[in-house]
Amino acid sequence: MADPTTTTTTSAPPAAPAPADTVTVTIDGKAHQFPKGTVLLEACNAVGADVPFFCYHPGLSSPAVCRQCLVDVKGQPKPVPSCYTPVADKMEVQTKSPRALDVRRQMLEFTLVNHPIDCPICDKAGECMLQKHYFDWDAKYARNDGIKVKKDKVVDVGPHIVLDQERCILCTRCIRVCDEVAKKHQLEMADRGDHEVLTTAPGHKLDNPYSLNTVDVCPVGALTSKDFRFSMRAWELTATQSICPGCATGCNIEIHHSRGKIHRLVPRVNPAVNKHWMCDEGRFTYKPVHAGRLAAPFVRGTPVEWDRALDEAGKLLRAALDAGPAKVGVVFNAQSTNEDLYALGRLAFDHLGLTKTYLAGVDQGWSDDILVSADKNPNRAGATAVGAGRLRTLLDLAKDLKAGALTTLLVVGTDGVLAKDAAPGALPLDRLETLVVIGTHRDAVAAAAKVALPLAAWAEADGTFTNKLGMVQRIRAAVPPAGDALAGWEILSHLARKLGATMDFTEARAVFNEAKQKLGFMKNAEWGRHMLPVQLRFASTRG
Amino acid sequence: MADTLAPLHPRRVVLGFQDTEDMIAPDLPTEPIPLNMGPSHPAMHGTVRMVLEVEGERISSADIQIGYLHRCFEKESEAATWTQVFPYTDRLNYISPMLNNVGYAMAVEKLLGVTDKIPERAQFIRVIVGEVSRISDHLTCLGASAMELGAFTVFLYALKAREWLFELLEEVCGARLTSTYLRIGGVSYDLPDGFDGKLRSILDRTRVVMQDIGKLLDRNRIFRDRMDGIGIITQADALAYGITGPVGRSTGLAYDVRKDHPYLVYDRFDFDVPVGSVGDNFDRYAVRVEEINQSMRILDQALTQIPAGPVMINDPRIALPAKTETYNSIEAMIAHFKIIMDGIRVPPGETYSYTEAGNGELGFFIVSDGTGRPWKCRVRPPCFPATAVLGKVLPGLFIADVVPTFGMINMIGGECDR
Repeated sequence: MADPTTTTTTSAPPAAPAPADTVTVTIDGKAHQFPKGTVLLEACNAVGADVPFFCYHPGLSSPAVCRQCLVDVKGQPKPVPSCYTPVADKMEVQTKSPRALDVRRQMLEFTLVNHPIDCPICDKAGECMLQKHYFDWDAKYARNDGIKVKKDKVVDVGPHIVLDQERCILCTRCIRVCDEVAKKHQLEMADRGDHEVLTTAPGHKLDNPYSLNTVDVCPVGALTSKDFRFSMRAWELTATQSICPGCATGCNIEIHHSRGKIHRLVPRVNPAVNKHWMCDEGRFTYKPVHAGRLAAPFVRGTPVEWDRALDEAGKLLRAALDAGPAKVGVVFNAQSTNEDLYALGRLAFDHLGLTKTYLAGVDQGWSDDILVSADKNPNRAGATAVGAGRLRTLLDLAKDLKAGALTTLLVVGTDGVLAKDAAPGALPLDRLETLVVIGTHRDAVAAAAKVALPLAAWAEADGTFTNKLGMVQRIRAAVPPAGDALAGWEILSHLARKLGATMDFTEARAVFNEAKQKLGFMKNAEWGRHMLPVQLRFASTRG
Repeated sequence: MADTLAPLHPRRVVLGFQDTEDMIAPDLPTEPIPLNMGPSHPAMHGTVRMVLEVEGERISSADIQIGYLHRCFEKESEAATWTQVFPYTDRLNYISPMLNNVGYAMAVEKLLGVTDKIPERAQFIRVIVGEVSRISDHLTCLGASAMELGAFTVFLYALKAREWLFELLEEVCGARLTSTYLRIGGVSYDLPDGFDGKLRSILDRTRVVMQDIGKLLDRNRIFRDRMDGIGIITQADALAYGITGPVGRSTGLAYDVRKDHPYLVYDRFDFDVPVGSVGDNFDRYAVRVEEINQSMRILDQALTQIPAGPVMINDPRIALPAKTETYNSIEAMIAHFKIIMDGIRVPPGETYSYTEAGNGELGFFIVSDGTGRPWKCRVRPPCFPATAVLGKVLPGLFIADVVPTFGMINMIGGECDR
């Protein structure tokens, strides 16, 4: 949903299709070639002849209910809805004819007659398509001062969503998202004429796992997210492109944040992964970034400076290694980025030559055949590839601990280290002499550590995740790290030097470049161009 | 050239300082020493630094260093909507903010292509507040410069008159200096009741003040000695440096944007452009005095001719809707929201627009990329070239001559440094 305009552009026809499959269409006096079957609206927008729309969505079917995309086609008695009309050979289209502009303006005027004067309190203000289309295509003052039809303003339609029926412009996008994406018919139109309202289908709640996509596709502020509602004005937000860390699917997202705080996650279009959508669970993966964080290095429960903590960790590990590397273990994590995993792999395998290495990760969960994967780790593929068969399970770790085969353990990423799946019954960490933890949160593992070092969370670091399809996708730092936290590869570089290894990475990209050389699965990975965060107020594509 | 500029008494023949030095201390060897004047010096108003090289009392070279009041006006504008730039323009030439407002508003309107659609009353109001500002600008320059030469009374008289004008402007827009009165498409609100009578009364009293100042200064030996023949800028230099305004006109260049490229309704008024003959400090003083008189002439005519009518363009994409509309119709609410939050959308393109400000041609070169913010907003500050020429004018003068020369250039830090 993030950017319908871009989507139409990406679905533009290829440069030189075979002549038999193309048609020639004249749009605003200029001839263009399109593949057969292209929707006229997409054709117009692809060549820069902007046509507005409410009900059309590139990821959904077109019912042509809003009549906002009307264009003049030569030979047709009335303007036609371009979202519903396939291109035909020798079609002559006028998108800016006086008649087309006028009917579109009149449709907008109808839409505005009963629209409440809510902009100052509406969550959608600033990214509202009605505001945008009014200012772009109408910009005339009201001719009507009749009393607006009253409808319900706060309808609790589901666990995550509140509906304001007055604001609804009856485009039915949300109904189609439920029907076509979540495959659940939970929303319906009821009543007629200017009393028509959006409502839940009898006996249903809007509770499907993809319900928050309805908020994204809603062109106005009729459907609002309970989580985001009244928390921040949309135009104050800045968008950073990233990847959802919720499961192995790796949905492309935008992190919307302001002043170092994340306010929401919205899907970003990627036809190969998540198309226009993401699941509700994924939307809330930002919550842990701002809660319960390990914000400073700790040595035996006392917060200290980085220098002291690294010295201490170095000494403890050095002593253990000198006593016998066979009794030193390292735990990798499927939540870490490829860069952190590569840096850890270089330290553990290449430099220290350790053999007792394990892979942690959070528990399996539910899945469906739409987007949600059972593996709730964003980078198990990357971790497995870095380990190259050398990483054993947490069950093995539990066995080794019980057998007293380990005196010292370095844990990088604590998510799922105490997971139920991996170690039924608690992992006996108390058998260890030394536990060094690099982790994001103040959890039981960090509490048990002699030295705990604060790790930047996924939204605070640059790097890449490998999803279950093997696609290496880029995450970007959106907010500054909590407290003194540092990126994993950076902490590991410092720690490696304390242990006599030469690791001098200065930026995540350097780690990526080296990993790309060494690791087969990253051979074709791209770091991507430098991207400045976009302030939504001036993004101009939204609303 | 106006008659009033004829010297009131024959100019004194100034002794060459070489002669003076020869008479006073013929045998004393001099050695060049550097002397910092400013950035914090009582005569360096606006914070400017002059690194002088002096031999005795004589200046052998002058390095004018500006930038102490640089506030990133141009860069900052790129982060503001077109309307939000107005408060920044107030702080360019901060003793005549209205004229900056006028210059900026007209630049954006030119790019929007709505220059012809600005209501006539708004254009008259712009002329009136602009000329009031010009008078206050010149009064400040004259008063401060006279004070620096010891004529403190003149300063008090000039500031008294300026105070009347500032109070009047405060009635118009609510602020003495940070006016932000203009809007793209017109002015923010109409003139207050009784404005006409108040302004006429102020102008009458200001005329008396100008007479008093004339009596105090025009035949004052000390004043004339330090003004006549000092700081001469040649016409060729004025042209080469691009000097406009009172400083340019003092050299005999009769260039005034209001006359040569009339904007707003200036072509409807009868006024003269005073010019000097020598280009010295006294010419610059006399040109400013006469410009005050001419501004008062324009104001008299404008007050007589000003029509009734709206003061804001009738275009929902540019003008904010009335509050009653905003609160009672969704259309006006959206228009209000879009103009405030996104800014007025100016079509892609670039333009240079120029007006006559207190110090000369104030130019705005603006570039739009079609969004609600300037892509670039460049200012041509009129006192920049006039300040630049000081490096050529000062060598050869005495240290004491820096004070009246710099004063009569009327360098305004906010405008020069932006």
